[in-house]
Amino acid sequence: MRRGNKVWSWFIMIIGILYFFLPLVATFIFSLKAKLGVLSFKAYSNIFADPAFVSNFSYSVLWAVLTIVVGILLFVPTAFLIRLKVPQFRAAVEFITLLPFVVPAIVFVFGLVRTFSQPPLLIVNSPALLVAGYTVLSMPYMYRAVDTGLRSIDVRTLTEAGQSLGAGWGSILFDIILPNIRVAILSGAFLSFAIVIGELVLAQYLAKPAFAPYMALSIQNRAYEPAAMAIVSFALTWAAMGIISLVGRGGGQAQVGGGH
Amino acid sequence: MTHLTLSNITKQFAGSTAVENFNLQVEKGEFVSFLGPSGCGKTTTLRMIAGFEIPTTGTVKIDDIDITDKAPNQRNVGMVFQAYALFPNMTVAQNIGYGLRIRKESKSAIKKTVEEMLALIHLEQKGNSYPHQLSGGQQQRVALARALAIHPQVLLLDEPLSALDAKIRVSLRAEIRAIQRKLGITAIYVTHDQEEALSISDRIVVMLDGKIEQVGTPFEIYNFPQTAFVASFVGTLNTTTAEVVDPGKQLLLMEGIQLETAEGLDGKQKGDKVSIAIRPERFNFIAQERKANILDCQIENITFLGSVVRIQVLVGSNRFYMDTFNNPFLELPKIGDKAQVTCSREAVLVLKA
Repeated sequence: MRRGNKVWSWFIMIIGILYFFLPLVATFIFSLKAKLGVLSFKAYSNIFADPAFVSNFSYSVLWAVLTIVVGILLFVPTAFLIRLKVPQFRAAVEFITLLPFVVPAIVFVFGLVRTFSQPPLLIVNSPALLVAGYTVLSMPYMYRAVDTGLRSIDVRTLTEAGQSLGAGWGSILFDIILPNIRVAILSGAFLSFAIVIGELVLAQYLAKPAFAPYMALSIQNRAYEPAAMAIVSFALTWAAMGIISLVGRGGGQAQVGGGH
Repeated sequence: MTHLTLSNITKQFAGSTAVENFNLQVEKGEFVSFLGPSGCGKTTTLRMIAGFEIPTTGTVKIDDIDITDKAPNQRNVGMVFQAYALFPNMTVAQNIGYGLRIRKESKSAIKKTVEEMLALIHLEQKGNSYPHQLSGGQQQRVALARALAIHPQVLLLDEPLSALDAKIRVSLRAEIRAIQRKLGITAIYVTHDQEEALSISDRIVVMLDGKIEQVGTPFEIYNFPQTAFVASFVGTLNTTTAEVVDPGKQLLLMEGIQLETAEGLDGKQKGDKVSIAIRPERFNFIAQERKANILDCQIENITFLGSVVRIQVLVGSNRFYMDTFNNPFLELPKIGDKAQVTCSREAVLVLKA
């Protein structure tokens, strides 16, 4: 009976791995066929040689970094204060953080365009609106990562310990809370990075340079380069995940209490 | 000189009263324990001194300065928490020095104080360790050092030993008391462990349902409990009711047995019912003839407790405990034997409520 279960577990796991990796492997192999008859990295050299790729990708990285900074500044104090001062609002805030999953991106972007293309807030052409939109889209990942990090430490007692030693809110946040949820913030940051790099609708409809619209455009004109770009974006995301696990292993997550 | 004054403190949470009309004056260098069961308001009172809760009414004063509305980080009050609350991202030395860093003291001054504190808690070699590398007892000593490093006017300890095992608890409480005495710091200690409170305190405040039941030295609290709750909460006690026979001669009647008490029965009339209490160790088997406080009884059970033998006796319908020192050369009665036990008139306590 146990042996049967084990065989099933392996079978399901192999099916899952194949389902995930086969398209990726197929895309990778396809991306190597830019040169007729041989496997080569020509498609990769083509995209890295294209100034538009470098420019669009650099913009996406810039938007991602700004989104992460705004997300940290917005969601860390929010999650901290909700956990500390108004825990009764946690369920409501959690619901709000899930809204980007419920509202389609196209609906969201039209809402943004309609609201901010007229006074008093005529900012539809500003990159700030794009970053704000990305911040909303990355909210479920960033907020929940931070909240999970806060759950792993005794926020109330650590805050009170800081206060009793004379620390104000800023010192408590930067000296005590942030360092102890560093790994959670990094997780949220890298997930936000992946979201921003791959997000198409916002940048396209707000007419801002970014990697995803560039890739979408390339698909229409070229065959092998978009496949190479997909692999590059996967590699970047995986590198980000690798950094998370490295930092997590190296620095050590917060440990409160301990053995006697 | 009064150092800490709590006047008419009341704290209400959403309609329920956690602390009611709490008044206390603490002398400089005094070690006062708040003792009571869970939910009696002891921690809430401590948190009001720390500034984590604001009293609904009443004032908190240190050295006659009203600090009731001051933020916790503006009071010079150190706190040791039950859960240690060491900052996991900082080393032991950084934890101890954090309060001084916040106060913008010089690096050399911080280093000097940290070294002094590490020596005080005998953890000189652990300065560079992280909290998770220490045992629970060591972590709590670091938490104590961190609270003391800022030279607080009052040190608050919120059940600091309850997460530790019994042996470490006993040794650490002695260490806390020794450090407190050495530094002469005023300390407020919250505990639900009566043995801990009795062993460590200059005075004990026994609390129930947000109110003070009794304030006194450990000796007073143990030997002369004023209420039935204090009597039952602190140590083992035999309690029953008796009838006042002669208030002037301090005579009581308990199920036909005449008892003499040393306590005044002012305001009591003949025939009034009173609650009385007798500590188990105050009973003796009758060795010589006595005129008063002779209790005929039957031995119901004998329990060996190490240095003490606890004998359960039936007096009328009352079951009393009697403690006697374990003496291997003393012949103890057997279960079912009839016997006579007695106690001094001072041992018969008349409780207020």
